[in-house]
Amino acid sequence: MKKNAQNAGIDEVNFNDSAFKVRLKRNLEILSNVLANPTTVLGLIIVILMLAMAIFAPVITEPNTPDPYQMPRDWKAARSAPLTPGHILGTTNRGGDVFYGVVWGARTSLKLSILVVTLTVVLGVIIGSVAGIVGGKVDEILMRIVDVFLSIPELIFALAIAAILGPSFTNIILALVIVFWVKYARIMRAQVIRIKQREYVDAAKIMGASKLQIYLKDILPNSFSPVMVQATLDMGNIVLVGATLSFIGLSEAGIAEWGVLVSEGQAGISAGRWWASTFPGLMVFLWALAFNLVGDGLRDVLDPRTETKR
Amino acid sequence: MSNSKNTILSLRNVKKHFPIKEGVFQNVVGQVHAVDGVSFDIGAGETVGLVGESGCGKTTIGRCVSGLEPLTDGDIFFDLTPEKLVALEDFEKHQSEIKNKYLIDEIQSTSNISKIEGDDFYNYRRNCQMVFQDSFSSLSPRQLVSDIVSRPLKIHKVCADNELIPRTIELLEQVGLGKQHLYRFPHQFSGGQRQRISIARALALDPKLIVLDEPTSALDVSVQAQILNLLHDLQKQRGLSYLFITHNLSVIRHMADKIVVMYLGKVVEAGKTEDIFANPQHPYTKALLAASPDLSEDVMSDMAALDGPIPDPARPPQGCSFRTRCPVSRTECGWEVDDIIRRLEHHETLIDSIKSVHQPDAFNAKLTFETSFSAIELKDAIGTNDIPKQMRKAIKKIEVDGNDVNISFDPVQTVPLVQSDNGSLSRCVLANK
Ligand SMILES: Nc1ncnc2c1ncn2[C@@H]1O[C@H](COP(=O)(O)OP(=O)(O)OP(=O)(O)O)[C@@H](O)[C@H]1O
Ligand code: SF4
Ligand SMILES: [Mg+2]
Repeated sequence: MKKNAQNAGIDEVNFNDSAFKVRLKRNLEILSNVLANPTTVLGLIIVILMLAMAIFAPVITEPNTPDPYQMPRDWKAARSAPLTPGHILGTTNRGGDVFYGVVWGARTSLKLSILVVTLTVVLGVIIGSVAGIVGGKVDEILMRIVDVFLSIPELIFALAIAAILGPSFTNIILALVIVFWVKYARIMRAQVIRIKQREYVDAAKIMGASKLQIYLKDILPNSFSPVMVQATLDMGNIVLVGATLSFIGLSEAGIAEWGVLVSEGQAGISAGRWWASTFPGLMVFLWALAFNLVGDGLRDVLDPRTETKR
Repeated sequence: MSNSKNTILSLRNVKKHFPIKEGVFQNVVGQVHAVDGVSFDIGAGETVGLVGESGCGKTTIGRCVSGLEPLTDGDIFFDLTPEKLVALEDFEKHQSEIKNKYLIDEIQSTSNISKIEGDDFYNYRRNCQMVFQDSFSSLSPRQLVSDIVSRPLKIHKVCADNELIPRTIELLEQVGLGKQHLYRFPHQFSGGQRQRISIARALALDPKLIVLDEPTSALDVSVQAQILNLLHDLQKQRGLSYLFITHNLSVIRHMADKIVVMYLGKVVEAGKTEDIFANPQHPYTKALLAASPDLSEDVMSDMAALDGPIPDPARPPQGCSFRTRCPVSRTECGWEVDDIIRRLEHHETLIDSIKSVHQPDAFNAKLTFETSFSAIELKDAIGTNDIPKQMRKAIKKIEVDGNDVNISFDPVQTVPLVQSDNGSLSRCVLANK
C-alpha cells in the first residue's frame, strides 16, 4: 500500500481533534474574520448595547402597569427639558417620559424585527426553495409574483398595506412581512438553483440519499449564507420602515415605540422642544446603522468568492 | 467473445437528448443530441476508456450510467452473466422468434437500470459510484471528511454506528490518507488529496463499477500519476470495473483495456487499446492521435491536425458526422445542403442576400435570393475551390430558376459501425472497403 508522503499538505497533525472541536474552531475563525473589520466591530458594539437595553428594560426603568409597552404619563411634568430630575431625557407635550420611550422602544423594535425577520425568512426560504427545486411552470409563476412585489418601492408598499389593514401594531408587522419576504424568496431560489448543480449533490444522489436529506444536508446549509446576511441587514431596515409607519400614525398611539414617540414630539419642535423627537429619532438611526454595519461585515466574510480565496 | 466473466455494464443504443427551451412559456424549439445511439460493454475488472473532444457527450454518458439522467431511448443493463448477454444479443438479432422470452423478461426486470426498482435499484446504487472532475465542487464545503466518507455507509446501513469511524479510517487509509484527516474540511486539502477523498467515498459501498469523469485532468502532472497509480492498485485489489472518461490519450493508454472514441454523441471507433493505438481505423481517431504530441511518433504523422468548428449537436450532420472536418472525406460520406452554407459562410454578401430557405429535409432545399444575380453567383461559387470536389460530386441537382436555387443531394443513411480486420469497430466509409 502507498501510505507515504501524500499526507504532507496538512501541517499540524492532531490526533485528539474531534468533529465538535473542529467545527467550533472553524466558527471562531469566521468570527475572528468578522471582527477584523473595525466598522463591523463598531456596529456589533452598538447592536449589543441596544440588545442589552431591550433585554434589561424592566431593570433600567420601572415597568409601567398594567401594560409596560404603554408610555407612562406624568401630566404635571409635561414639556420638561432633559436633565429634569425623574425625567433624564425630558418629557413630551403629553407628559410621556422620553427616556422610558427610548428604553422600551428598543424592546418594541427588537420584538418587531425578530418577529418580522423570522416570519419572512421562513416564508421566503420555503417559497424560494420550492421555486428552485421544482422549477418549470411553478417557478415561472412564483417568480412573476415576486417580480410584481419587488417592482413596488418597499416603503410605499408597506404604507399602502398598513393603511388598508387599519392602524395597529399587529398590522404593521403583517404589512412588513408581506413586503419583506420576496427578497428571501429570490435569494433562496438563486442559491438553490446554483447549489443543486454542484457535484456533491449528484454524489449524494448516486449514493442513494433521499430528496429530503439532500435538501436538508446539502442544499440548505450551503445556500444559507446570503439569507443570513440579508436577515441581518433587515433587522435594521424593518425597524426603519416600521418607525416610519408609526410616525405617520399607522401604529397604536401611546405605545413605547420610537416612531410613535418621534411623531408625538414633533408638535414641540417649532417651540424649541427638540428632545422628544431627537432622542428616539437618533435611536432609529443608530439601530438601522448598526445592523447594516454588521450585515456588511458578514457579507464580506461569508461571500463565497472571498471564501475560496482563503 | 464471451468468456466466463460477467458483463458489468452493457449500453445498448443509448440516447440522451436535451430539449432546448425558449421564451416565457418554455417552448421546446429543438433537441441537443448529446448522446445519440451509443452501445458498448464493460466486463468485470475491466477499464473502458471513453475519449473525444469537449462536448461530444462523455459526461452525459457517465451521468446516464450512474442513474443521474433518465435515458431518452435505449437500455443500460447492469451485471449480466454471459448467458444473459448472449440471450440479449440473440433477442436483438431475431426480435420475432421469442425463444427465451422468460429470460429476456427477467433480464429487463432485474438488470435494466431504468426499469429495476426496490431492492434491485438499491443494489445498483451500491454498485455503481462516480468520481467527478472538479474536486472542489464534488465535496460539500460544510461537511467534514468524516461525514463525507461515512455518509454512504450510513445511508445503506452497512455497519453499526460505533463501527462507522473505524470503517471510515480504513477507507481513508486505502486511498493513502489517514485518521489524522478525519476531522478536516475539504478546503484544507490539496487537489490531489480531495480527489482521494472522493475516491474513498466512492469505495465506501464496495461497488463493482466506478465512473471516473476526468478524475485527474484538474491536477498537476506528478499528482496525476499518483492518483492513476492509486486507481490502478485499487482495481487490482478489488476487481473493480472503471468507465474512465478523459480527453487525454496518454492517460487512457495507461489505464484502459478497451477504448471507445466518441464524436458528436456517436461512437466512431471502439476496440482494444493496443489495436487502436497501433492501428487506428477512423480518420477522427487518427487526427486525435496526431494532436497528442507525446504519442504521435509511433502513429502516422502525415495526418492533418483537427481544425474547424464542431457542428452544433442540435443539428448533427447526416451520413458521417465527422465529414465537415475530415481530411480524407469522400463523395459518399453523406453531404447535405447545410454543408454548402457552412462552406460559403465567408461570402458575406452572398449569404446576406438569401431571402428565405425552404428545406423539406436535410438533402433538398430551395434558396430564394434578393436578385437573380445572387442566385447565379451561388451556383458559380459551388464550382470554385470553396466547395471540395468530393462534395460537389455528391450534388444530384442544382438549378437556378429566377431568384431561386434548387439544390438536392443524394440522401444517405448514417454510416454504420463495422468491424475492421484487426477486430475494432469503426464508423467510416473507408473501413467498409
Ligand atoms: N443538462 C443539459 N442540458 C442541455 N444540454 C446539455 C446538458 N448537459 C449537456 N448538454 C450538452 O450536451 C453536449 C454533451 O455534453 P457533455 O458534457 O456530455 O460533453 P463532454 O464530452 O463531457 O465534454 P467535456 O469534455 O467538455 O466535459 C454538449 O453540447 C452540452 O452542451
Ligand atoms: S466516412 Fe470516413 S472518410 Fe467519410 S467523412 Fe467520415 S470519417 Fe471521413
Ligand atoms: Mg465532461
